[in-house]
Amino acid sequence: MTPTELFLQQLVNGLTIGSVYALIALGYTMVYGIIQLINFAHGEVFMTGAYMGLALFLACGVAGAGLASVPLLLGSLALGAAGCSVLGLAIEKIAYRPLRQAPKLSILITAIGVSFFLQNAVMLIFGAQDRYVPSVVPAARWQVMGIVLTPLQGLIFAVTGLTLAVLQGVVYHTSLGRFMRAVAQDPLAARLMGVSVNRVVAATFALGSALAGMGGVLFGMYYSTINFHDGYLTGLKAFTAAVLGGIGNLPGAMLGGLLLGLLESFSAGYLSTQWKNVAAFAVLVLVLLVRPRGLLGERLAEKV
Amino acid sequence: MLTSRRFLGSICTAFLGLFLLAGCGNREPVLKIGFVAPLTGDQAAHGMDMLRGAELALEEALSRGPLIPGCRVELAALDDARSPAQAVAAAKKLASDPDVAAVVGHLNSSCTKPASAIYHEARMLHVNPVSSNPDISRQGFDNLFRVCPTDDLQGPAGARFAIERLGAKRLFVIDDLTTYGRGLANEFIKAARVMGGEILGHEGITQGEKDFTPLLTKIKAIHPDLIYFAGMFPEAALLLKQRFELGVAARFLGGDGLFEPTLITLATPAAAEGAFLTTLGADLRAIPQAGAFVRAFEAKYGHLGAYSSYVYESTGVVLEAIRRAGRKDRQAVLAAMKQIKEYPGILGVHTFDARGDTTLRTIGIYTVKNGKFEFLQAAE
Repeated sequence: MTPTELFLQQLVNGLTIGSVYALIALGYTMVYGIIQLINFAHGEVFMTGAYMGLALFLACGVAGAGLASVPLLLGSLALGAAGCSVLGLAIEKIAYRPLRQAPKLSILITAIGVSFFLQNAVMLIFGAQDRYVPSVVPAARWQVMGIVLTPLQGLIFAVTGLTLAVLQGVVYHTSLGRFMRAVAQDPLAARLMGVSVNRVVAATFALGSALAGMGGVLFGMYYSTINFHDGYLTGLKAFTAAVLGGIGNLPGAMLGGLLLGLLESFSAGYLSTQWKNVAAFAVLVLVLLVRPRGLLGERLAEKV
Repeated sequence: MLTSRRFLGSICTAFLGLFLLAGCGNREPVLKIGFVAPLTGDQAAHGMDMLRGAELALEEALSRGPLIPGCRVELAALDDARSPAQAVAAAKKLASDPDVAAVVGHLNSSCTKPASAIYHEARMLHVNPVSSNPDISRQGFDNLFRVCPTDDLQGPAGARFAIERLGAKRLFVIDDLTTYGRGLANEFIKAARVMGGEILGHEGITQGEKDFTPLLTKIKAIHPDLIYFAGMFPEAALLLKQRFELGVAARFLGGDGLFEPTLITLATPAAAEGAFLTTLGADLRAIPQAGAFVRAFEAKYGHLGAYSSYVYESTGVVLEAIRRAGRKDRQAVLAAMKQIKEYPGILGVHTFDARGDTTLRTIGIYTVKNGKFEFLQAAE
């Protein structure tokens, strides 16, 4: 391996995990943009999505690895997305909506409570052990210019890129998107203009959770193992990514996710694995010192 | 939820106890043998296999008649979730329960070490099944006994196998930053250097992390002959899978923490193929006196776990000490244990040295072949 090949391979490694962070970060950032809530249960929604994919594979009797099946792949992504959006809707309706007028701290604590609830519910259903997740994507290995890329990595890039494009389209070119931006700016004024704030917030949760669900299915297949506490660390990193990119900003979440993945990959590859998190979070602190609103965060007018 | 279930359970037990007291007014005394292992978390597979070993040993002993006349003997199984903090909490719970006379416990060296201090203070017999960090028995605790060989034997055995048998000279070492992992890695490195091996690098990974591709890419670029991993199977499985996907040519050798069939499932058989590992003790199936145990275990539970035999052995040692003591008393049980000169177990005849370590010191070497562990050789 030449130094260039090494660099490119680390780039691919970083972009893969970064794409997963980005998919989850989009959900954090959307919810924050609309109701200024840091939805700490979002990481657990992601983890539940991975288990939904696993449940489908188990139901279809897919036990071994390397079995490629397009219907199963699409089915698992659809189930992860649909299942998690229903979950997101339920969480919003049951745990957050009744508290929307309460102090911000109450709803934050509720979010942490939901996160514990989901972790333990999944543990009771699927057990506390690591579960093996079969991959339904071909297990090939592409060699391009000395670097290795798997079809699953390609799929992760594609899904993440496509998702951002679709989201941008929804937010800036549909009436739902216009409502979302209106609620984000001023919920009361939006309501006076005839926007159903509850529906818009619910739709935001559904969308964000669907992305986390797809991210979970891909994560499970990529690492081939899943555990009930996997949502915690990954969710925390995705949250970091959202803050790094500028919370409330969609391309910012994407950029933050990819950047965090690259930071981890390069610090583990060129410094040492032990220093991976230290390096990544040191950069986060530095960025926030210089740009407190994150890389792409906009200066919002203070609401009075 | 588990806690609340346990809580509900304890309420039920309390009511049942009251009911019994009211009913007959005279409760049969109970002697409890403490048992602690990770029964939840990513290493729960090991923990459950261990618990079954303890249960089988107790069941067989009781089928031969009561150990202490007029006294029930039962297990008090607790979970440490491989967390040192939870291990200490479990140890304190056992130490404060006057019914607990001895303890068989802990899988991870990082759990065993802090917990052992609590058992020592409580003057309670502590038999450790599989925590192989050498320092555990170097704390000067007279109540601590251990039935497995230690990492100052396992590390060098791995190094000798890598260098002499596989001809690997350029080595890269990874550990999981735990007491066990770091200790074993250092023993391996020390021995490998003496045997002429070159250590290209030594890095630690964090338990619970999933993405090791940056580290493996770095390793691929310096193309060592062999990667040595001192850690447990969940991380080993991810390392094997990502090593396979990145096409890292270096061979893979690990310690006894890998000896769990789930390793091959999680890593996928193709990625695990050809990996080597050292284990504490020889091939159980080749030891004649272990045959009855293997048959009984498989008849009852199906698959035989990696550490079941060590826990079976540890529990056997504890039961022998209780039988010799003949009464429910921590001091008496510990005193009886010190009188045991030879214990004929399923792994061989144990005698315990001044530190409490067994004199059975065989290290086994296995490989993964066709998706299964296959015994290669025994090293002294």
